[in-house]
This record gives sequence, structure tokens and C-alpha cells, in this order.
Amino acid sequence: MAGEVNDFDKTYPRMLHQIPSPPKKLYYKGNFNEGIFENCLAVVGSRKMSPYGERAMEKIFSTLSSKITIVSGFMHGVDAEAHRKALKFGLNTIAVMPCGINLIHPKDQNNLYKEILNAGGLVLSEFEGYFEPKVWTYPRRNRIVAGLSTAVLVIEAALESGSLITARMAHSFGRHVLVVPGSIFSDLNSGKVQISNEFAKTIDSGLFINKYFNLDYTGDVSEENKADKNQILGLLKSTPMTIDDLKKQFPNKEISQISTEITLLTINNSVVEREGVFYAC
Amino acid sequence: MLVKVKSIANRGIQTFGVDVEVNISNRGIPGLEIVGLADKSVAESRDRVKTAFQNSGLKFPNKKITINLAPADLHKEGSFYDLPIATGLICALLEVPVPENSLFFGELSFDGSLRHTKGSFLLSLFAKENNFTTVFVPSPCAREASSVGGLTVYSVKNLSSLINHLTGKKYIKKFNSVNEKNEKYSEQDFSEYNYIVGQEQAKRALQICAAGGHNLIMIGPPGSGKTMIAKSIDSIIPDLSEEESVEVTKIYSLVGKIPPNFGLLKRRPFRSPHHTISYAGMVGGGNNPVPGEITLAHRGVLFMDEFSEFSRQVIESLRQPLESGKIVVSRSRFSTEFPSRFILVASSNPCPCGFYGDPNHQCTCTENKIKNYRAKLSGPILDRIDIHINVLPVEKKLLIKDSSTNSNETLNFVKKGISNTRLIQQKRFKDEKIFTNSEIPNSQIEKFCSFGKGSKRLLEQAIDAYHLSARAYFKIIRVARTIADLDEKNDIEINHIAEAVQYRSKFFL
Repeated sequence: MAGEVNDFDKTYPRMLHQIPSPPKKLYYKGNFNEGIFENCLAVVGSRKMSPYGERAMEKIFSTLSSKITIVSGFMHGVDAEAHRKALKFGLNTIAVMPCGINLIHPKDQNNLYKEILNAGGLVLSEFEGYFEPKVWTYPRRNRIVAGLSTAVLVIEAALESGSLITARMAHSFGRHVLVVPGSIFSDLNSGKVQISNEFAKTIDSGLFINKYFNLDYTGDVSEENKADKNQILGLLKSTPMTIDDLKKQFPNKEISQISTEITLLTINNSVVEREGVFYAC
Repeated sequence: MLVKVKSIANRGIQTFGVDVEVNISNRGIPGLEIVGLADKSVAESRDRVKTAFQNSGLKFPNKKITINLAPADLHKEGSFYDLPIATGLICALLEVPVPENSLFFGELSFDGSLRHTKGSFLLSLFAKENNFTTVFVPSPCAREASSVGGLTVYSVKNLSSLINHLTGKKYIKKFNSVNEKNEKYSEQDFSEYNYIVGQEQAKRALQICAAGGHNLIMIGPPGSGKTMIAKSIDSIIPDLSEEESVEVTKIYSLVGKIPPNFGLLKRRPFRSPHHTISYAGMVGGGNNPVPGEITLAHRGVLFMDEFSEFSRQVIESLRQPLESGKIVVSRSRFSTEFPSRFILVASSNPCPCGFYGDPNHQCTCTENKIKNYRAKLSGPILDRIDIHINVLPVEKKLLIKDSSTNSNETLNFVKKGISNTRLIQQKRFKDEKIFTNSEIPNSQIEKFCSFGKGSKRLLEQAIDAYHLSARAYFKIIRVARTIADLDEKNDIEINHIAEAVQYRSKFFL
């Protein structure tokens, strides 16, 4: 399904009407219904997502209310992962394109594009046909992402990044801006610190986000808090480590033994690995 | 007067017999002519032989001399026809018989002495296979030639001693390798395994790869010690077995890489070509094909530093040798097969700037740049690499603290474990054509890899948890087989599988 909607149409997204310069016309592909615009959460962040960012999304999305729609910009990194995680947790998702509605940008994500449409998601753009993305179309796209949403969630953002532009726009539109706390040693955290000091709120769970939408998470929230009998897992909960780091902590254990335990923990879904570093789930 | 002397010709790694026919005629314009498809290095033999004759106190005849190298349609090259030609001339001039069942081989110097000449090992092999009893070689090559065994080797020092031998005035002593002192290889500048600080996982991976002949790739930022780790494999890898040694010595003799007075090679070769290497340099090439780096690394280690910087063609050319352990080099006139069964140790940065995933540095590459960089390492090549590990820099603190605590005990312990594992494999594969666990074909996994209680179930769980492909499944079993062997266990147990899973490919695929 493809089509267009004008700003005088009844079906035009209500939230988008409220921003200072709403697009006169929106082109779309996919399942256009009013419900999808009801509880929109924009998720923005760096194109170079860190393993931490990915895991943060996983955790937060897992407790979001199923009525929430994830809006993002279909870029590499956090954007794409936000769409993927939305599909994974059964949330609606909207991809806002910086190019003509008939283009898929970036091209290599066309599988994700299809998945979004197949899952009943929506692709939006204010540009028609095969219009190529330009430097100036990205901030305009960001304006729609912010405009559609009740709240904007910043996963990772460096100083002077596009994600900060979106966050500031959302703030000027009177929307909530939420950030995920990060490590003070990470460059992808500095942008978040900056906006936290000005207007943004820090959250660490989807349950807090639901409150901004007056929604509840209906799933099972009882987090397993069993005592960690495994020493390795206990250690990983406080700091992510490589196998060599673990060896330093447990000099008496052989490398083969540590590798074995790590594998067993991974199979139990207690630990995940990113680029050779292990994180406790 | 016509005299026939036997010698050889090398084409690729094959050896053919050659008859050197010397005819001295009283009629015709005086001179020396060589016929029989000889290239420049053979044709120049004329001047070397002439001058060597004069400097050895023998008058060069003022007659028409014609030399034919038969069969005449086989291309001949190399400087080693000097000795057979000189022998033929001596026998014809002095009218003495040519020693029977003998092969002659060697390059002459102007002063009449014989120089070290490449290929004497191939000469001896050929002699043995074709029922020759005696070889005459330059004295620097005597050890190399005698290492085949079962042959009488005459180590010829110079032309005068050869004349005395042929005329029966004074016989050359038969070369006996026991009497001669065996020169030791100078220890090369290889980083020793026990001097590596930290990097415990990499060291363990190296141990497994040396024990089971698995290929290894290390991914890590610059300065994390990938090169040092790779080079240290030389200090833990066991020496060549007798059978392997013959294969390797043959190749090294062919390219002239056996130094004077050396015999069979004992150490496994370690080759580390630069990433600017050409395609022909890697797989072998030339009009008369000569072995490339992959063949020089046969039964040893081929270390490719900065793997993704090698040209695409060079990397892709590794496919056949990694699969079948040999490479066929075909040229319009001639094609030959070189053995190339090596352990590939590769290292690569995770991205063009090198710092992707490094906790201490910021990566400055764009998403696309990283993608293109990784796309260079094609799936089929990475599929043939059993062990993938990430290497991160060692904390400097640790370098200062630990550098004094290296013990030879660990090195010896590791070495012992590896050679023990190699023995287990030798026994296991004694009726097969393979040597190591890494070579087990998928069809025979069941035969050689028996599972202990619960280990197969764990493998199945791991496949689900890590989304592993069928290929990864077999790779894990092969690596687990080696880990079990290191553990001296008959069955692959749970902990072996669990450890092997940590070495699966995770970075690119």
C-alpha cells in the first residue's frame, strides 16, 4: 500500500500538526492508520552504535508497552537497530526517510525495509519519487521524527551530532526528551550529558517510558534476581571483560576452563559477547 | 671420440634424466658448441668450462667439440651442467671410461673449484628412484645429496681432484655424513612463546593451532601484539617428521634455499610474505614454474600479516591450496603441481583505522569503510579458517610487572603437549592420507570424533544460541577434537566443545 496524505486531511498525524512547520504533504508506504501514530516514541542515536547501546535498547524495549510505536530514521547504527528491536518485541515501527518515497536509503538495508512493511510498519517521507537524499534533507527528516513523537529517546550521541539536533528540536516542540545513561569514558555519552544538564531526563527501563504515555507494560516484569553462584557472572555484572581480563581475575583458572564457563553462560543467555568483550545480561 | 655422461633436468618439482653427449672431432673449425634446447645459463657453461680447464692445468683441446643435451626437446636451464660437460671432456680427452651408474651435477668456478649448486637433493632422489648408485656433486652440496641415503656420494672439491679420480691416480673419499660435522642452524630472531605477556587466550589458541594444524586468524587493533604472537608459533611447533622433512627439503633444494653444508631440514618453515606480494609470488609461477610462498610454507606456517591488505587475487588464490594441500601451476608450455599443506596464521585490523572495538581509542572509520574493509575477506576464505580470536592490547602495567616471570617450564610444558598431540594424531591417521585433525573431511567426522556424555547436546544448544552454520558446526568439532587430544581424552567432552565454541568465527560472518 502506498499513498499520500495532505495536512488538511483528517488522517494527517495529529502530533505533526502541532509543530511550527509541518510538511504539507506526506508520502507513505505500508499500513497507514491513525492508531499507529497514537503513542510514538522516537529512538535516535549514533550511526556507530556501541555494544552497550545495543544492549541498552534490548533491555529498554523489552519492557515497553506493546501500544508504543517506535519512530526512527532508518539510518545505519542505532536507527536500524531500533527498527529491528521493535520488530523483535512486536512493536509497531515507522521509518522516516531522508529521500524520495520510492528510494531505499541506505540501500544495503533493503531486507530490513521489507521486514518493516511485512510486519505492518510504515515508511514515511515528505519527498516524492526518486529524490536523492541531500545534506539538508536529514535535519528535515529529523523534524518529522521528533514531530511525530510524544517522547524522544536518545540512545547514544556524541557532541554536535544529528541525534542532538533531533533532541533539541523535540524539546522546542515541547516533547519529552529521554536519555540512556552511559559510561563517562565514552565519546558517545558526552552529547547525552550535555542535554541532560539542559532539559533531558535519564531513564534506565522501558517501564519509565511507559509512564510518559500513560501506558503499562502488560508482560511479566519479575526480574530473576537469583544469587550469582557463578563467580565469572558475578564479576561480569559489574564490569564487562574479555577472556584475558577474566584470567587476570582468576589466575588459578586455566584459559580453557574460563572459555568453557563463558560458553555455558552464553548458552544460558546469561552473557553476551560483542567484539571479544563479554557482558552480563 | 664420443662420450656420454648422465645428469638431470628439473621441471617444476619433477626431475628428468638427461644424457650429456660430448663429441670431440678432429675435423671442422675448432670451438665448443652446445645443442639441445639449452637456455642462457647452460650456454654460458662453455666459457666457465674452458676457463676452469685452463686454470686446472689442463690444455683445452684445439678441436671441434659438440655437446648435445638429450632429450633435445626438453627445455634445460641451470648452471649445473658444468660438471657433466667437464667430465665428458676429461673422459674423451684422456680416454678414460666414465664411471658407471653415476650422475654428475655442479657449477664450475673459473679457478676450477665447484660451487654450491641448487637442486642436489632432487638429483639424489632421482638417482635412488632410477637405480643409480653414485652421484658426483660439489663439496658444499655433499651433505644435502647424501641425506637421501643409500647412495655413494663423491664430494668434488675441484676439477683437479676429479681428474685424479677419473684417471685413477687418487680417488676421492666417499662422503660420510657421520664424519663431517653437522652445522647447526643459527637460531632465527623469533619471538618466544613464553616471552609474551598476557594474551592468554591468544596463546592458548596458538597452542591448539600448532597441535592440530588448524588455521588461525587474529583480529585486533595495531600494537596489540598480533605479529609477535604469530611469530612465536615457531618456538612451540614440533620439528618435521622424517617423511615431512623429505617433502620440505625437496622444495627448498629446488629453489636453492638450503645453505652450503646443510642436509635435511628439521625445522618447520615459517614464511611471512609482505602484503605487496604478487599473485605469482604467492602461488608460484614463471615460464618454468617455480614454487611460491605457499609451497615454501609446506608443512610449516604461512603468516599473513595485515591479511586484508593483500590483493584480492592473492587472497582468493589460497582457496585451492587451503582445501586440497596442493596447487597446480599451469603455463602454456608446462604445468606442474606443487605441494602446499600449511598452517595459515593471519592477522588483521578490525577496520581501516584499526581501532574499532578498542576500549582506549576512538575509531574514526565510517560505517561503509568498515563494511568494505571486511568484505575484502571473502566468506570462502574465512570458512577455511578454524580459529578466530580477538586480540586487544595488553595493559602497560602488566608489561612492566610480568616481564621478569617468564619460565621455560611453561614453554616446555606446552611443547610437550603439542608433540604428544601430534603423536596421537599420527596414530589415529596412520591408515589415512591426512596428518592432522584440521584435515578430517566432513564425511569422516563421525569416524574420528566420538562424543562423550552430553557433549553433542551442548553442541546443539550452542548452534541455536550462536546461530551457527553447518560449516561452523564441523569446524567446532575439529577444534574440539584437538582440544580433547591436548587433554589426552578419547571422547570429546562437554568442556572441549564449550572451549572450541569460543574460537568460532564471529567477526566477519
